[in-house]
Amino acid sequence: MLKKLAVISSLILTTPAFAVNSPINGQVQAKCSIWTETQGVYGNPLPNKLDTLPDSGGSFSSFRVDIAQANFYKTSFTHPISFSSSPTLSDTVVWSGSTVVGQVSVTEMSAYETAKVISPSNVTTFDMTLAGSTWFTVSSTALYGYNKSLPAGSYVAQIVAECIAK
Amino acid sequence: MYCKVKLLLSVVFVFWASFGFAHEMTPAYPKFVTSYIDDVSVTKMKLFNRRDDVSYYEVQVFDNDWESVPFASTNRIFKLGYQKSTSFEVYIQTKDLKYAVYICTMSKNFKQDKKVTIVASRICSKID
Repeated sequence: MLKKLAVISSLILTTPAFAVNSPINGQVQAKCSIWTETQGVYGNPLPNKLDTLPDSGGSFSSFRVDIAQANFYKTSFTHPISFSSSPTLSDTVVWSGSTVVGQVSVTEMSAYETAKVISPSNVTTFDMTLAGSTWFTVSSTALYGYNKSLPAGSYVAQIVAECIAK
Repeated sequence: MYCKVKLLLSVVFVFWASFGFAHEMTPAYPKFVTSYIDDVSVTKMKLFNRRDDVSYYEVQVFDNDWESVPFASTNRIFKLGYQKSTSFEVYIQTKDLKYAVYICTMSKNFKQDKKVTIVASRICSKID
């Protein structure tokens, strides 16, 4: 009897242990993405005016901001206050523009519009308190001198779209 | 019915995902660790370029007032193809670390010859 027990216990003790590596994989994904949906185009409705308004022959810049995690990011849009390239201008250009909330993937996101902060005058900041997608429309207008025509040529201005971790 | 909704949602998602151009960076809250250089701390960031109109990005480090903070990186401006990602390290002197608040990447745009608005995107992570 004892002999049998000894054989069985020695068999159990010598049974190899099978260890399996079972890694846990994970990936860190971006929590804020800026998508440029439409690049703005200036129309030239008046000799001294460039405007992204569709009625003026232009088109707005449209952005989609995807937030994967609520309350982690602020988004800000800077509309231009100078041309990044243009013909030589001898007079001043008066700039204006705005950023407004367009479509939203969560109804409550429409509150971003009333809660937006404009500071300085060409920077609009939104606190992204909800997860989901929000569309923003940026407009820009440049008015040249007084009763002066803008010189012929190409005019390019830059909009800055930012995602800033809070 | 459920299957139809599911299919519609996936089509919408695919449409959304393929339309537009994005710029993404991780992690949102990077942590600095001691580097192999004395008194210099380092963190690793990852950048994704999903903008087919941009192939250059600039690394920037700012304090709380958006003033530049001295830092070193393998390349301050680097080329990154469309749909590509890259990892880069940011080195900051340990004495400057208390001022550094944001690590940002900003798209660099080429001069264009059209009557358009160029879009520069900037993603900023906050140092933990």
